[in-house]
Formats: sequence, C-alpha cells, structure tokens
Amino acid sequence: MTNNTNSQTKLALYRRMQIIRLTEEELARCHQRGLVLGACHTYVGEEAIAPSVCAHLGPDDPVFSTHRGHGHALAKGAHPRELMAELFGRETGLSRGRGGSMHLFSPEIGMMGTSGIVGPCILQACGGGYSSKLMQTGRVAVAFFGDGASNNGAFHEGLNMAAIWKLPVLFICENNQFATEIPFAYASGNPSVGNRGSAYGIPGFELDGNDALTIHRVAGEAVARARAGDGPTLIECKTYRTRAHAEGMGDFGYRTREDVDAWKLRCPIARLRQQLIADGSATEVELDAIDAEVKSLVEESRRFAEGSAWPSANDATRHVYCEQPSPPRSPIRNVIPAPSSETREITYTQATHEALSEEMAKNPRIFVMGEGIGVRGGNFKTTAGLFDIYGPVRLCDTPICERGFVGLACGAAMTGTRPVIDFMFADFVMDSVGEIVNQIAKMQYMSSGRLKMPVLLRGCIGIGHSAATHHSGSYYAMYGQVPGLRVVVPSNPFDAKGLLKRALNCDDPVLFLEHRELLTVKGTVPTEEYEIEFGKASVVRTGRDVTVVALARMVQQTLSVCEELERDGISVEVVDPRTVLPLDVETILKSVAKTGRLLIVDEPPASCGFAGEIAAQVAAHGFNDLDAPIYRLNGAFAPTPYSPPLEGAVVPSPQAIAKTIRELMEE
Amino acid sequence: MAVEIRVPRLGWSMEEGTFLGWLKQEGEAVKSGDVLYELEGEKATQEIESLDVGVLRIPANAPVPGSVVAVGALLGYLVSDGEAIPDTSPTRERGEADTNPTRERGRALHETTNPESRASNPESVTLNPERGGAPALADASGYMDRVIASPRARRVATELGVDWTRLKGSGRNGRVRERDVRAATATDGTRSTFSPRRRVIADRMLASQRQTASVTLTTRADATQLVRLREQFKASKTPTIVPSYADIIAKLAVTVLRQYPHMASRWDGDRLIEPTMTDDLAIGIAVDTDGGLLVPVIPQVSRLSVRQVAERSRELIEKARAGKLSTAEMQGGVFTITNLGAYGIDAFTPIINVPETAILGLGAIRREPVVIERDQIVIRDLITLSLTFDHRVTDGAPAARFLQTIRAAIEDAAVWLLN
Repeated sequence: MTNNTNSQTKLALYRRMQIIRLTEEELARCHQRGLVLGACHTYVGEEAIAPSVCAHLGPDDPVFSTHRGHGHALAKGAHPRELMAELFGRETGLSRGRGGSMHLFSPEIGMMGTSGIVGPCILQACGGGYSSKLMQTGRVAVAFFGDGASNNGAFHEGLNMAAIWKLPVLFICENNQFATEIPFAYASGNPSVGNRGSAYGIPGFELDGNDALTIHRVAGEAVARARAGDGPTLIECKTYRTRAHAEGMGDFGYRTREDVDAWKLRCPIARLRQQLIADGSATEVELDAIDAEVKSLVEESRRFAEGSAWPSANDATRHVYCEQPSPPRSPIRNVIPAPSSETREITYTQATHEALSEEMAKNPRIFVMGEGIGVRGGNFKTTAGLFDIYGPVRLCDTPICERGFVGLACGAAMTGTRPVIDFMFADFVMDSVGEIVNQIAKMQYMSSGRLKMPVLLRGCIGIGHSAATHHSGSYYAMYGQVPGLRVVVPSNPFDAKGLLKRALNCDDPVLFLEHRELLTVKGTVPTEEYEIEFGKASVVRTGRDVTVVALARMVQQTLSVCEELERDGISVEVVDPRTVLPLDVETILKSVAKTGRLLIVDEPPASCGFAGEIAAQVAAHGFNDLDAPIYRLNGAFAPTPYSPPLEGAVVPSPQAIAKTIRELMEE
Repeated sequence: MAVEIRVPRLGWSMEEGTFLGWLKQEGEAVKSGDVLYELEGEKATQEIESLDVGVLRIPANAPVPGSVVAVGALLGYLVSDGEAIPDTSPTRERGEADTNPTRERGRALHETTNPESRASNPESVTLNPERGGAPALADASGYMDRVIASPRARRVATELGVDWTRLKGSGRNGRVRERDVRAATATDGTRSTFSPRRRVIADRMLASQRQTASVTLTTRADATQLVRLREQFKASKTPTIVPSYADIIAKLAVTVLRQYPHMASRWDGDRLIEPTMTDDLAIGIAVDTDGGLLVPVIPQVSRLSVRQVAERSRELIEKARAGKLSTAEMQGGVFTITNLGAYGIDAFTPIINVPETAILGLGAIRREPVVIERDQIVIRDLITLSLTFDHRVTDGAPAARFLQTIRAAIEDAAVWLLN
C-alpha cells in the first residue's frame, strides 16, 4: 500500500464516518419533527468501527447487522437518502417502507439486513460464511453486534460453529458498554469480549473502538485471514454511544452526563481528523471541504426522503412469499398413481431419500445440516450414503445447537445457497423457533422481495412408540400462523417424495414434517421424477356421506375404518390437504358441498389449531352446504406421556374416529 | 305518537302469513279505512285496511314483500307529520315468553348428550363450539322451542320449495336435515310446491281427523225431481241463473238442519254451541281451486231464495278461484256440502270441516233402473249421499235419521223448497 493510496483510503474513511455522523444528527432532528415514525437508534460516537471494517469488503461480502444499524448500512455503501426515506416510511427507502430503523435491507450492496432481535446476525453471518465455503466464492461475512449479544446464546453457538468449520467470518462486537441500559460490567462475568476468542480457538482482539486506523488495520488482517481459508476472527471494539439508546429516551437514569461528556471528547471523527492532519494525509481545508460536501449531501438526502412517495396500502401483503418462484425441475404430478409398470412400492423414507439425492445431484447449492446426518446417514436414514458422495461440506454434521445451525441456514439462504436442516425431531427445533419465525419467515417480506429464502427445515413429528413428550410433538398449527412459511405434512410415500422435491425447488422457506409412524409405510411411487404442488389437497378416498379432513398419520387411521363404515352404509370421503400453508380450502369445500358433513381428525390438541381453521373456513364459505355441525377429533390437551395406556389415550384412535363419524351421522 | 302496524290474525288457526306488499307508499298519508297492504292468510289473500290515521313509515329492516311474517310481527308505523320512527326492531315478536317448558326440556336433553367429561376423554369428540355452546344459545334466542334445520336443509328446502319449518327433523334434538327435506318432496324427486295454503289445508284436515270421532253414512236418494227442477231453470224463458245441485241441496239442508240443530253445532274451545231457531244458518260449499280446497260460506241461507243462493255461491266460487276470498267469507259456517259427483264419484268419506259437526258429500247423479211398487222397473235419477258426522256430538241413529230426512227432502224437493 503506497502512501498515496493510504491517504485516499484514510480520507474515504473520514468521509464515510462524517456521513454517518451528519446523517444520524439529521435523523435525530427529523425524529423530533415527527418525520421518523418508529424507533431511531443512532450510531453517534461509534462511527470509527463500521467504516473501518467495511473498507475491506466488496459489495458481495455480506454484512449482517443489529438494531443499531444505520452506521453499518451507510458504511456498506447505502445512500443516506435511502436510509432516511426508510425511516420516514417511504417507498424509496432501503426496505421500501417495510422495515424502518431496525430492518434495513440492501442486498444489492451486501447489506443483508439489520435486526430488531439481538443475536441472530451472528448466526446469519456464519451462514454467509458457509455459503462462501460451499460455493468457494472467497466472500467474507461480517456480523456487527453489541455487547448485549455477546452474552446471548447465539454468540456461543455462532463462534463455535465458525471455529469448527473455519468459516470466513468477522465477528465485530461494538461494545458501547450498555445493553440498552444494562451495563456490560454488570451483565458479563468476563469484562472482555475480545479474549473470548481463545475459548473457541479463534483469534480475538480487544481494540479501542474509537480508533479508526487501528480497527482498519486489524480488520484488514482478519479479512485477509478469512479469504485465505484460515477462519473467523472476533474483534471487540470498546466504544460509547453518546446519544440515548433510542431517540426520545431519557439518558441519565443509568449513566451520568459527565460520563457522556467525557466520551464526547473522545470523538472518533475528531481523532481521525487530527491524525490525518498530523501525518500529512490531509489539510484542514481539504477536510473542511469534505465536511461541507457531506453536509449538503445529507441535506439533499433529507429533502429527497421528505419528498418521496408513501408506499401503496395495496402492496401491504406483497412479498410474503417469493413473487417469481423458480420453475419446477420435474413435471408436476399431483394425483397418486395406481400401481403399474411405471411405479414401485417403496417406503416413505426411501421416497424422501430419493427426492433429496435426486435434487442434490442436480443442484450444487443444496447442503444438509443436522445431528448425525453425515457419516451416520441420519437417525432415520434420511441421508444414508450421501456423505460418501458429497462429503462433509454438503452433508454437515452439527454440534447440538439447533438455534445456531437454523440461524446459520437463514444466513446461507440469504447468500445464495439452499440449506436443508434435518432436525431429527420437530421438538428439537423449538430452541430455534425465533430464527424460523422472526428471521427465516420474514426475510423476504422485510427485504421487499429482494431476498429469496430457500430453506428446507425437515424433521419428524407425531405420537407413537413411547417416544414421550420431547419426541412426539406436531406443531404444524403453530407454524401455520406464520406468514412467509410453507408447511408440508405428507401422509404417504408418493406425497412425501413429490412434495420434498417441490420443497427443494421452492424459493420460500418450507417446514417439512414427517410423521415418524409413517416412515416405514409403503406406497406406490412412480419411477419417473415428479413434483407435487403446494396447496393442492388430495382426495384419498371418495365418499358420499361425510367428509373427513386429516393430515399425516390421521389419514391412514381414518382410511383404516372406512371399509367397516361402508358396510354399515356410511360412505366416507377422506381429504388430505397435504400442506397446512398454503391450505387448499377449495377442495375441502367441494367435498363438503357433496357430503354435507365435516369431521377434522387432527393429532395435536384442538385449541387454536388446524382443525379450528378448517372449521372456520367451512363455516364461513360452506355454511349452506352443512347438514350437521362441524366436528373435530383432536388429541387430548396434554403433553405426550410415555406409558402405552397413557400414550394411547391422548391420540385419536381408529375406534374413536369410527365412533365420531357415526355420531356425526346422527346429527 | 306512532301507531304500530302489525300482522293481524286472519283466522282461528293463523300463526303466520305471507306479506305480499304495501298498497301505500313510504311517506304517503293514510286515512282511516284506506287499504294499507296485502296479506296472504290461511286460505286467502286479504287487503288490510288501516284503522288509524298518519303518515306511513316503513323501517329499513321491515319484512319485504313475499316474506313469511308471524302474527304480531311489526310491519311499519303510522306517524304524525315529521315524527321519527320509534327505535324498535320491526321483526321482534312482542311478549315472547322467557320461560317455556319445551325449551327447558330441550335444554335438559342437550346437556345429557353433551357431558362435560368429553373434553378430557380422548375416546370422545372434542366438540365444536356450536354444539358445546348450544344450551346458552337456547336461552338467548329461544333456539330449542322452534324448529331447527341445518343450513344445508334450509338451502335444499328453498331449492325444492319445501317449507322446512313444518317438517319433523330426524337429526339430533329434532334438527331438520337434508334427508328430511328430500323425503318431504315427491318420491320421484320432482319439484314440490307445498304452499302456505296447502299447509293450512293439511293442518286442518289432520286436525279434523285427530279431533273428531268421524263416522260416514251413505245412502242413495232419488234425485229425479232435483234434475227436473234444474232443467226447468235451464228451460226458463226468464233470464236467470241455473242453481247447482249443491245450491239446491244447501237450501234443503238448512230446512232439515232446523229439525236437527245438533247437526249444526260448532265447537268453541271446550263448549259445543247449538244454533237457536233464530240464528241464521250459514252453509259452506267446498270449492276446488288451483291453490287447493277452499270452503266459502253462504250466510243466511234460510232467508235467501234458491236463485239468490245460486248467485251468492257463484260469486264466492269465482272469488275463491281468483284467490280473492276474504277470511270473513270463509267463517261462520255450521254445515258443509262437498260435491264430487262431477268426477263420477258415488260414495266417499268427507272430512268434517272443524269446528262443524257434519259434512254432506254429494255423489254423481246417474240414470238407473229402479224397482217400484208391483215389481215395476222404471228409470230414475239416483244420487249417492255420504254424510260424515262427529260421533262425539251425536250418535249413529240420530245421524241416520238426519240423513234419511235429507234424502226425503231431495226426493220431494219441490215441496220442501216451497215450504
């Protein structure tokens, strides 16, 4: 690096810091004017950090940020006018008005989003690093987070994963000494964040966060290490925000005016200015010119933002799902075929295994993560033999850190790969529900459709074989409440294969829930490849008198009593929606229009559930077709017990289904 | 002060009618005696007159033309100039009982079919709110003491033109289901038109069969004189109406009923009322119309000439066939004559027109050989008479004597008419 280049870099750094400072001060003014509609967390006092790190990044190097993210966005190259427009809620904002201060997206320049939740950015940066490793792009991912996040589980899980897989990630902890108003000195047993690197076997640094040039140097070395394949670095930058946690909040309940004033004197911009003049990189006049240019840039940006149009209310539900989904890779085939020379009988597990291995062969961006899915081939043989073909990066065994690797999957999908998370049991994923609900499901929406989220989350659900309560949950109704998710619950091998193949080509996040009691069930599956569309229910048995809607194992349980009922003159039609989100209400309505009676058999408890949703839909749209009240048959409102007599009592049995159908016929 | 316009009871059994439409406009001034609206009651359509004065105000949620309205239902208001409509729901029944034995019974039944234990019993249905919440609903809306029908049954009933409110439901708690509606239509599945009038006829026929101890006596009478009498009317050079056999026999029946007043008794609740000698006896004539059987009543038959009876009956029959009979024109009869002779029927078992005591059925008049004195065979016009009487009121022998007297009156019609 020549002196000349060095001076230019320093001046650019100075200018970027000044842009952040003046933009934040203008935003503070605008907050007082009421132009900023929601929260406004400024970066004032911390300007040295993000520009010094981002100076080493290209637009393809992804940055994942936190709730105090204005500075990160501006450092990554976002224009102040887009930032201001977003805070003003305008169509021209970084997130097109869907995000605000805490959800800033500009994936075009590698700004992968700020987050209102503390911690996930660490895991997402691991995902960015994993994409880089899988696709060998040489990209480096950066997580900016505060001292608060360093005491969050995501920090532990993220740093450990980055360490064991040598991910190209920089973890930048901006320790401004308060998690909102909780002092770091109180909240942390270890007064250093930087020295925790050694706990994970990675380099860790503890820097003066107001010293731009030092941060610039250390970050540069860390980026070079990462690009060279030598893994992650943790850098703690000790700093101080000299404005309140959020604009409008009182600031002196937890710290003193004297402390704040003292830190103001340690202003990182003034410090860099002095350094630049002292080392001859710039003159006062040159720096004044930069200040003036930035001032007018910020003023122009504010005028632009103020003059920008509001988004249209008609677009409020756009971008929940991908608007331009990728086409299927195999022909669509929604109807279960009759056995023929072009079909075979295979098990549910064989069917999903075929789907996964066929798609992995076609798409190098697919990788699988989970506990024991590598050499072991999966607890349920979901990945048997694939490790030998694709190796440890595409078949990645994980530590037991569900939140960690689900958060990683989020970041990986955001950066262009297609993670398949194999949970084993859906109960295990409860630790990562925040990552699924708050991050994975909402990313496409928050980014106004500029991110795709091809994440497949698969695992076993269902009661049986004394698995007891931590290996028996279903949870699909809970996921069914979350905009942005696809929730798939197949009941037979044909559906399982076609829907898994669809899921592996879908650009939306998919929860693929496999009932454990069905894994060995055999069924007819075509030899040719095919996909099944989401939101297309399957009429698995036609009948005249009563419609039964069921999912997964309850489909098979219902089918097992249909012949007995038929002999007694009760003709049952069984409809399997196959996907909870999207839900094919139309096919259910059509069936009820024929039969006039509806029973929903649903394994989990009834409250606020899947059966209630269907009942409400049919009551609203099929009221005049109903010849009897709608019935639900659900599992008991209890966790799943171990002992067989107890276990059998909480799940709808074939006898209970038959009895309920007979009762419904009497209505 | 606003005057409420409510659905009147147009007959002894009327519970509801069909509101056909207003004959005055919203906002129009109404005088006492003006016709306000048309209402189809039990058996006929009636123009309802206003008893009051005011400006007609029709609330937005008032019954629309064609809707079935309960007796007492509010249709609108007569208000003074500039007065606003009172804030009352127009369709709400007044004085609806809050306690009702039927409802209590229904509620108890409901509870037994819906035990609390279901919620915690995995073998049982986790019930939907509609079913679980029904008892509370019953209290609020009188749910249990009216006919309930599934939404589908209602839809199918509308499609098939069936009145589901009169059906007996086969579902739980008597809920009318689709199958009940379909069963109520013709077995071949063709469209049925079970009109309100048909429903009234059905109810009254059934009521008669259930309430009376009916016995039918038949006999044959020589109607030669009757036939001749009619031919004389036909051949008359004086322009006149030709009385029907029923007209003539109505006139004869009144004379006979004077001798057997208990045959002209009417039930009034628990009391049986026998006409006195000074009472005018009104005779009902059964009329077949497109909409079903109607029985207009000819009042004061004893004071009318045969010609006048004929004129009056023709007028009433025309009104009946046009659907224009008023309820009053069908009330007050003490005895009914029904004639199936035109269809070649001889003997039949007429159903008593309650609250009357007896009904006389006329069969076909046929020319037949008759053996008279000295084994002579002559040709005569013979009619079969079918008298149904209520055995609660009188016994077989007196009824037989009454019928015998009727026969005598027919056989000697000219003398009986002139007396």
